[in-house]
Amino acid sequence: MNSIIRVIDLWKNYNRSGQENTAALRGTHLEIKAGEVVALYGKSGSGKSTLLNILAGIDRPDRGRVEVDGKDLQNLGEEGRTQLRRRRIGFIFQFFNLLPTLTVLENVFLSLELAGKLDPQPAHQALQAVGLEGKENRFPSELSGGEQQRVAIARALVKEPAIILADEPTGNLDTQTGNQILNLLCSRCREFGTSLLMATHSPLTCKYSDRILRMVDGFITEESSCVELPS
Amino acid sequence: MRIVTKAFLRYLPRRRGLSILQLLGIACGVAAAAGMALSARAALSSFTQAVEFLKGKATHSFERPAGPMEETLLADLMKDPAVSFFSPVIDRTVKLKVGETVRLLGIDPFLDRPLRPELSRVRLGENRAGTEEGLSFLLQERSVLLDSELAAQLKLRPGDLLATHRGDLWVVGTFPNPSSEPLILMDIAQAQRLFLLQGKVDRVDLILTDESGFRSRWGNGFRLQSGRQRQQTLTDMLRAFRLNLQALSLLALFVGIFLVYNTAMFAVVSRRKDAGILRSLGAGRREIVFAFLSEILFLGALGGALGAILGFILSRFLPDLVAGTISNLYFFLRPVPPDWSWWVLLVGTLMGCGASLLGGFFPLAELVRVDPVQALQGRTVKPGQRKMARKAAWAGAGILGISLPLLAASTVHVYYGFASSFGLLIGASLLTGLILLRLAPGLRWILSRMAGLSGKVAAGNIRQNLGRTAVAVAAFMVALSMFIGLSSMIGSFRQSLIWWMGTQLQADLYIGKIYEMEVPEDFYEEVKSISGLGGVDPYRNVQVNYREIPIFISAVDPSVLQRYTTFGWLKGGNENWDPVKKGAVIISESFHRRFGVNPGDRITLNGAKGPADLEVAAVFYDYTSEHGVVMMARSTYLRIYGDTTINSLGIFVDPGNPRRQELLEEVRKRSQSRGLPVFSRRQLHGNILAVFDSTFAVTRSMRIMTIIVAFFGIAGALLTLFMERQREFGIYRALGFSTPQVAGMTLMEGFGMGLASFLLSIGVGTALAWVLIRVINLKSFNWTIFFYLDASPYLMAAAIAVLASLGAALYPIWKVYRTYPQMQIREE
Repeated sequence: MNSIIRVIDLWKNYNRSGQENTAALRGTHLEIKAGEVVALYGKSGSGKSTLLNILAGIDRPDRGRVEVDGKDLQNLGEEGRTQLRRRRIGFIFQFFNLLPTLTVLENVFLSLELAGKLDPQPAHQALQAVGLEGKENRFPSELSGGEQQRVAIARALVKEPAIILADEPTGNLDTQTGNQILNLLCSRCREFGTSLLMATHSPLTCKYSDRILRMVDGFITEESSCVELPS
Repeated sequence: MRIVTKAFLRYLPRRRGLSILQLLGIACGVAAAAGMALSARAALSSFTQAVEFLKGKATHSFERPAGPMEETLLADLMKDPAVSFFSPVIDRTVKLKVGETVRLLGIDPFLDRPLRPELSRVRLGENRAGTEEGLSFLLQERSVLLDSELAAQLKLRPGDLLATHRGDLWVVGTFPNPSSEPLILMDIAQAQRLFLLQGKVDRVDLILTDESGFRSRWGNGFRLQSGRQRQQTLTDMLRAFRLNLQALSLLALFVGIFLVYNTAMFAVVSRRKDAGILRSLGAGRREIVFAFLSEILFLGALGGALGAILGFILSRFLPDLVAGTISNLYFFLRPVPPDWSWWVLLVGTLMGCGASLLGGFFPLAELVRVDPVQALQGRTVKPGQRKMARKAAWAGAGILGISLPLLAASTVHVYYGFASSFGLLIGASLLTGLILLRLAPGLRWILSRMAGLSGKVAAGNIRQNLGRTAVAVAAFMVALSMFIGLSSMIGSFRQSLIWWMGTQLQADLYIGKIYEMEVPEDFYEEVKSISGLGGVDPYRNVQVNYREIPIFISAVDPSVLQRYTTFGWLKGGNENWDPVKKGAVIISESFHRRFGVNPGDRITLNGAKGPADLEVAAVFYDYTSEHGVVMMARSTYLRIYGDTTINSLGIFVDPGNPRRQELLEEVRKRSQSRGLPVFSRRQLHGNILAVFDSTFAVTRSMRIMTIIVAFFGIAGALLTLFMERQREFGIYRALGFSTPQVAGMTLMEGFGMGLASFLLSIGVGTALAWVLIRVINLKSFNWTIFFYLDASPYLMAAAIAVLASLGAALYPIWKVYRTYPQMQIREE
């Protein structure tokens, strides 16, 4: 299988308000193959979100190399990274991050429009796939948390990306809804052959993943099973 | 990018309250600028129209350099080969009993017809009684034709009597007047009788075929002006006034742009997270710029159009104020409010869009620079605000540094002075962030004593959210500084005027009114003969041209003034009158500055018998004319111009004279028996101050703008802070802050910003006042206004600061009460 993500010796420091540097990533290595579902487990502040942001090209590392879909992000430039996000990367957030002024359908169609596809049919199909048929014209505020996350999944899936980066996708949902969402997300990714990297601090994700990674203080280690994770 | 744009635009109806606030912000800025510009334009075009109408087809006007000319000259004029047509004119004003002053034109209907055919034709055609009434206009004493608009305004019809301070006039007919200046027409012979000008005319309007030939025959002792020159002369008189109006309009637009900045900032705050989401989904900066521009341009266009309509409505009222000022300072004018034109809407819309782009530039830059990671994390307080504040302060210091040479260059042109005052306001605005940081401990101390914990948190919020609060404080500071600056300027000018009146206008009684009535020469002799009077000053004030520029000549009795007045001299004292008695002249400060003439220099005036060379003895402070005054002894004036007119008499009685009251009463009685108005010194001073106060009505009205700006500025900042800190409010709630405590916090934020703005405006407003008084006024009007420090502008600014900031907090507080109880520690 080809690598969708390759991260080599990634470093990232934060310096806020002239205070001492805080290292979020300390020489991180990572490789994700096409179609793989990977759970990145770690406590809050361990560097998971930083890694995801760098992979999506919305944050930049201090050192190291990141390849997404075979392309070095550093060499792509701002425009290239934008194009990559439009076509090859899907993003799912803990707080859904739907645009409140757009309807459900418009939120999903937005991804297509940004990718230059003006046919709304795939957006309808994506909503159907996440079980939101009939709710196309509602606004996010009229939906439950679980439904909003389904819209976010549809938004990520609709452009048929190479990889979906999900940052705490169940962090704002109850266990039952969380399970439903993970089930939906992973099954759809497998169905479409899309790689999935889920950052989480919940062991709930373990059973849906092909691989489990653990992140501690900016380092990634491979775990063999969920059992090794602290509950 | 239709959907991205749609996502931004849909905020407008969703946040109706905020959208309306934004819209009003832009509309107010545009309305103020458009209203002021339209009013000034209406007043000035009315003036041009009136001049054009009265000129008619005349190519030239011919008159004595000062005072009326002898009627006997008409016979020679008639024979001159260069003259095709001529029309002698009496051009005066009469004060109506209802209070208005109206121009009265005395003409010979037959001679005047070729020059003003429109007037003649209409007059005779409209008189339905035909010949009989036409004749009565010629023959009947005190009969007049009234312009139909004036007749309608006064509810007068043919046959009615028009009550004036010169007695009743009989209205025999009306005529349509296409110019906006009210006009009364009278036969010239009747007018001569009415104004006691038998054998005299004010000027002769001519149609000349050979100007140079005519000038060679009549060049000496007369003033010949072409229609264009005449209009230019009058336009020149309004130059400084126009410039000041333009500056006021610009100032209105400047504060308007501040409002737009605030407005655009709201949009940025509420779109920042969306921008972050969009960037993470693959939207480029271009799409976000396009969406944001669509939104601010939509608001700009709508607000601009609304502002144009509001400005147009404003321009229905403001021209009266503008015209009042022109009438007080220059000549009588009754402007017609401008007609509606779609251009107004178009220009207003463009102004709104332009101001939106200008005001939205920095917010847009902020949105473009949005760090998607921080935006997605909901971080609002940006790190490095201190650094930003310092950078802005350096830029501000740089702009202030540039303003100083501009201030120095204002001696070259007043535009540099305006640029320097704008520089002062912009520079001070950029320093606001750093000063707020310095003020923070003091503010924290005050607010925590006023509202405990809420006050302490509020002070912290002001300091922590410098990106928002500094802008609002800067906008409010500019508004308050303008208030202090304009008020101090008006106050200082008023005090200077009071000082000047105390030096120059010290007579016990004044007889006659300069622009309305002359004092007969025999009455002057009669009053002079009353034994016991200390002195009688026969005052003559007349406009002449010096180096083709209009100035005023004042003729006085130097012996009387030397004894009883203490003029404000630039150098020396009352000994300056000695050379005046021997034929020298003294000049006003405005003349000295305008023409660069100094004591010891010689000036040449075009007199009735040719050029007269005069020595300048001294310079005195004067506020009667920005164009310059040359004061001379009456004997000198008579020698040069041969004009015996007296505009008013100043009566002086020694303070220790036991018959003082009796003498004054005697003069008063004799004046009244001649129908001449009499004023005591106090009355005259009061009248001058009343004129002064109405003159500054426009400037005063501008101060209202500052209050509106202040209100929107602070309200906008508080709302922005409220929106940015939704998440923080969730934390406050979790910590146990009650709704009144959070409301108190918002109130204290408003109060704190108001207080900071006021404190800053004390310095900036004083500096602005200094620039306005010592630089702009001096350059525009060529006279010195003395800086009088008065507490009242500062106290009023403080009251506005407190009331506006507390008032502006009301809506955010209402939002707090409505939404705070439901707030959670989450983002959506």
